Amino acid sequence: MNILYFLIQQMMLFMIPLLITALGGMFSERSGIVNIALEGIMCMGAFISILFLHFTEAIIPGNTRLILACLIAVTTGIIFSIFHAIASINLRADQTISGTALNMFAPAFAIFVARVIQGTQQVNFANDFLIVEVPFLSKIPLIGDMFFKNAYITTYIGILILIISSIVLYKTRFGLRLRACGEHPQAADAAGINVHKMQYLGVIISGALGGLGGLVFVVPTSTNFNATVAGYGFLALAVLIFGQWKPKYIFLASLFFGFMKAISSSYSGIPILMDLKIPNYIYKMIPYIATLVVLIFTSKNSSAPRASGIPFDKGKR
Amino acid sequence: MKKKILSLMVSLSMILLLVACGSNATSSVSSDTSGSSETFELALVTDLGTIDDKSFNQGAWEGLKKYAEENGISYKYYQPQEASTNSYVETIELAIEGGAKLVVCPGFLFEEPVYLVQDSHPDVRFILLDGTPHNAEYTDFKTGSNVMPILYQEDQAGFLAGYAAVKDGNTKLGFLGGMAVPAVVRFGFGYVQGAEAAAEELGISDLEVMYNYTGGFNATPEAQSMAASWYNNGTEVIFGCGGSVGNSVMSAADAKNKQDGNFVAKVIGVDVDQYSESESVITSAVKMLANSVYSGVTDFYRGNFKGGNVTTFDIRNDGVGIAMEHAKFNTFSMADYNQVYSALMNGQWTIFNDTEETNPALALASKLTNVKVNYID
Repeated sequence: MNILYFLIQQMMLFMIPLLITALGGMFSERSGIVNIALEGIMCMGAFISILFLHFTEAIIPGNTRLILACLIAVTTGIIFSIFHAIASINLRADQTISGTALNMFAPAFAIFVARVIQGTQQVNFANDFLIVEVPFLSKIPLIGDMFFKNAYITTYIGILILIISSIVLYKTRFGLRLRACGEHPQAADAAGINVHKMQYLGVIISGALGGLGGLVFVVPTSTNFNATVAGYGFLALAVLIFGQWKPKYIFLASLFFGFMKAISSSYSGIPILMDLKIPNYIYKMIPYIATLVVLIFTSKNSSAPRASGIPFDKGKR
Repeated sequence: MKKKILSLMVSLSMILLLVACGSNATSSVSSDTSGSSETFELALVTDLGTIDDKSFNQGAWEGLKKYAEENGISYKYYQPQEASTNSYVETIELAIEGGAKLVVCPGFLFEEPVYLVQDSHPDVRFILLDGTPHNAEYTDFKTGSNVMPILYQEDQAGFLAGYAAVKDGNTKLGFLGGMAVPAVVRFGFGYVQGAEAAAEELGISDLEVMYNYTGGFNATPEAQSMAASWYNNGTEVIFGCGGSVGNSVMSAADAKNKQDGNFVAKVIGVDVDQYSESESVITSAVKMLANSVYSGVTDFYRGNFKGGNVTTFDIRNDGVGIAMEHAKFNTFSMADYNQVYSALMNGQWTIFNDTEETNPALALASKLTNVKVNYID
């Protein structure tokens, strides 16, 4: 049982950043804007918030500091994503190109600023955010061991975001309007919805969640930030597609990716799996092969937002 | 019209931002000089990082600075604009124009730039750390008589680290390397053989070493998760050997220690003393960059510059070792360290360090009797 608990705890470290970032991507795509800048937004959000962690180490204690850092990551993500919004909504630029530009800009900016400020490119931070046992909840048999021990507060924030996202997208007026803009913006426009405003909000939400995803990604996995999020922004895009742009399936997809990633990287410390003698590569390949298979079977009736990636033109019908 | 103004403002704000940061950077680069004369005899051209990178640049700079200050010689460092061969060559030439007689180039990225400048500046001497000059295609290897390439015997540092870890009472070890480049492999092979030597002395026959190359030098959740799973399975100390990979190991160790409430998960750092990066670092397998640069510069001023051939720094000339100053061993003392150090120097053990085969379970199979290596592909 100990091994199962360990695997689930490790899985969370992979799953939560993917979940948060993919949900961010979902809001943007559902409003009709492709956001492949998630990698860059993650990088930027992680950089500014880790810089904050670095400088407030001795001033603000433990998890209060982490929550403040989350807010900073969200703000940074929003500001950074506005560049993408201006280019793709106001200027009607190719969304892939402006996204790529942000992806290229973010790590360079992080390295440059880190060196100017402190001379080295790695930004150190002390990771004292691990919650060994959540009071009361960790006493629940089974579930307590799985979810309320050795966890980060960001795990619960991630789950909260999932719940809020599904409610917002399906149960509110805003969600309906957002989805309408992604499917048929001209019709939405004719119905009196301000399409540009909706798309701005979509991109801004994706920036907020992407920035947060970056912080959540870095905190449990290192003791410094070295201007990279190791391709997890792109992986989040894969999760988004695998999850068919729906919160429920995005959750399942990130669960699946997270679990396979956790197994492939930690099986060497688990005697039962080690004895199976399955090569590492197999575990590493499975999530990607599964994505391909799903895409093959769903490409006919893919539920990608229809207008995603097409700049909104009022005059077009 | 509105759109034009908007895009203009966006681009202007970005340019302003960059300019503001940029001017700041250049002023900090050119400020570190000494002496009132216009020429600087000793020069160092920095690698990817800056002068205070806690790694190659800083180590080399400390050695150079020490000699220069002791002997009243002018010195200066130059920072290339970008990490490319052209930029490195330009910066080296800038240093030579500035009067440099000896240029220190820290890091293997300088192999090609030094290959290019060694012929065009025969009267200038170069010290190249961690590499030998060659052309871009790796077809021509040539070390001019004015170039002193310095290599390190990482296997000896690894050996000392492995030996100390086992002598200190650990029986389940781990090695998490970066890319399987020769330096990393040598560290790993030395580590395993050091563990073997100590196990033989202590009569431990079931020593285990988990062994993996992550394939990169980044901190990733994968590396963190692998280290965490090893600690969870009883591994006591992991040698994190490969840039930021070590930081993932430290992260896993810190989490494990916080979870269990005592010091069960330990880390061995690499290259420089990494004690300041995490509480869990017990020691580091280090290359004494400052020592080797200092000795190279000393030879130059004494008139016997060792150009033309590779100079290897090992324990015989204080080139490698483990960091004892901030070490957190239970029992392994400075006296123990001195003892194993001199025994290794006297040839009590011969360390296998051919990196052709990177899997120690195969390469060292005939040498390991008390240690079992679990190599993870």
